Amino acid sequence: MKIEAKSVQAALGGVDILKGVDLEAPEGSFVGVIGPNGSGKSTLLKCIYRVLKPTGGGVYLDGQPLSRMKVRQSARSVSVLAQHNYYNFEFGVRDVVLMGRAPYKRAMERDNAEDYRIVDEALETVGMTAFRDRSFSTLSGGEQQRVILARALAQQTPCLILDEPTNHLDIKYQLQLMNIVKNLHRTVISAVHDLNIAALYCDYLYVMKDGAVFASGPPEEILTPALIRAVYEVDCEVERYRATGKLHVIFFPET
Amino acid sequence: MDLKNGVFRGKPIYILSVLLLLAVLIFSLLWAVTFGAVELDVGDVYRVILYKTLHIGDAEAHGSGSISDIVWFIRLPRLVLAVGVGAALAVSGVVMQAIVKNPLADPYILGVSSGASLGATVAILFGVGAALGENYVGVMAFLGAFASSLCVMLLANAGGKATSIKLILSGTAVSSICGAASSFILYVVNNSSNAIAAVGRWTMGSLAGAKWETNLWMLIIALGCTLFFLTQQRTLNLMLLGDESAITLGTDLHRWRILYLLVASLLIGFAVFNAGIIGFVGLVVPHVVRMLFGTDHKKLVPISALLGAIFLLWADVACRTLLDRTELPIGILTSMIGAPCFIYLMARKRYGFGGGEN
Repeated sequence: MKIEAKSVQAALGGVDILKGVDLEAPEGSFVGVIGPNGSGKSTLLKCIYRVLKPTGGGVYLDGQPLSRMKVRQSARSVSVLAQHNYYNFEFGVRDVVLMGRAPYKRAMERDNAEDYRIVDEALETVGMTAFRDRSFSTLSGGEQQRVILARALAQQTPCLILDEPTNHLDIKYQLQLMNIVKNLHRTVISAVHDLNIAALYCDYLYVMKDGAVFASGPPEEILTPALIRAVYEVDCEVERYRATGKLHVIFFPET
Repeated sequence: MDLKNGVFRGKPIYILSVLLLLAVLIFSLLWAVTFGAVELDVGDVYRVILYKTLHIGDAEAHGSGSISDIVWFIRLPRLVLAVGVGAALAVSGVVMQAIVKNPLADPYILGVSSGASLGATVAILFGVGAALGENYVGVMAFLGAFASSLCVMLLANAGGKATSIKLILSGTAVSSICGAASSFILYVVNNSSNAIAAVGRWTMGSLAGAKWETNLWMLIIALGCTLFFLTQQRTLNLMLLGDESAITLGTDLHRWRILYLLVASLLIGFAVFNAGIIGFVGLVVPHVVRMLFGTDHKKLVPISALLGAIFLLWADVACRTLLDRTELPIGILTSMIGAPCFIYLMARKRYGFGGGEN
């Protein structure tokens, strides 16, 4: 499924955050959105996963305007893995994942064997089967994010949005999570903080600055010292690491 | 015991538990009816009930007379009312905790109790609403309760959609206003200590006013709302995740929150109308059930309803029998039992109340 954002504008508390953003994620692509804090990455993604309503422009799924879809319908097409997943109440791991089936359920409908199969399969994919009877709040940050990923998988959507889900995770869990997502071969739009992670996983990058797209293109075109200097105001060198063929960004602290 | 996760969570014994609790409830009703200030022959008590419900037995002996009146017009209505009010408070507690996404919420969190008090104060001191019939104090309390929850909802929706935090803040504000208004009236008017005592008694709760006609309504509403919320278990679960997660899972909570608030206010308003303000039942019962069965509302709603009913039924029996010649207001008893239970739950580190990590 293709996701498009067409001249999306958004305002928070009367301040224009997005000033007409265009973005396109073709079927099966892994699109990264990078940019400094406050550049509007998260706001853009929130417009795509409908937590925010754009004040102008629109988001389209395979050409269908999101604004005309019911949230129930869009939740069958787009699932989300965000940074914040803290709950005031105790949930079992399996209960959390089972909620991923909610968009397919009518009010009185019971969870059936098929739902439980999907849930178990999702837990298997993220390697959390052994934790399925644990309490969600007793898990570590990395484990919690994998459970939420399993919930997103249980939604069985062709698209997945990652809203900086690896922010507080150790490098091991960052890579683990991104590997799982990469291997799903779905349409992915991900906000990424770490440029090296972006270089490792993304097919295409959008660079946000001051609420607009500053540049876009494959990582090779985007991750250049000049562009990084212009957007992040830091000096760096970019090299291709021979063993992986991926770009590597080395930062220099200002002196 | 895995208290974090509910001792019985994930096990198919919950249907069994529901049936068991239902049996306990019926058994409790039949047993509790034999307790009272007047010593009655146990056999007579059941013969009266049998005659009144199924018309089996001797009409002369059990259809009328003092024994019949005590059982049928005094004891049984109270117990039935306790069942209805207990279930209503427990279920509305569960729902309020979901609506405001806070495990410390109780049915009265949104200013319902102080709204009801204000209604009752105005009725008792000024006779406002005397045209509304015999139980006009209750009617005014109901109106006060309902009006205050409407106010809270309007306030929380002013300047953007209501969030759980805005609801709690508006509830606190409305509560203060109603509380201050009641105190002001009591302080300024101060014409009769009887009236003030009446207001006081009323805010401490009592099931003594039970009548079959109002009981019927209480039961219908308690049962109807419980069944309604049972059908809403999935949305209630999503409410605990918050608005953002719920939207990505296909549910916009906003209008559901308003609907649930209206239904819960109806439930609480009726409980207040029939029994005044009875604290802690709606707070503690959902917590105990969560501890045993986990957070899933599919189990939480029906089991809380049953447990709330059983608890209030025995609480009322205790109120009638603990003190000689006088009756303890039930609100005092439930708070005396409920608060220590609550502290115990809170102190138990293994039971996550929320506010834990992060």
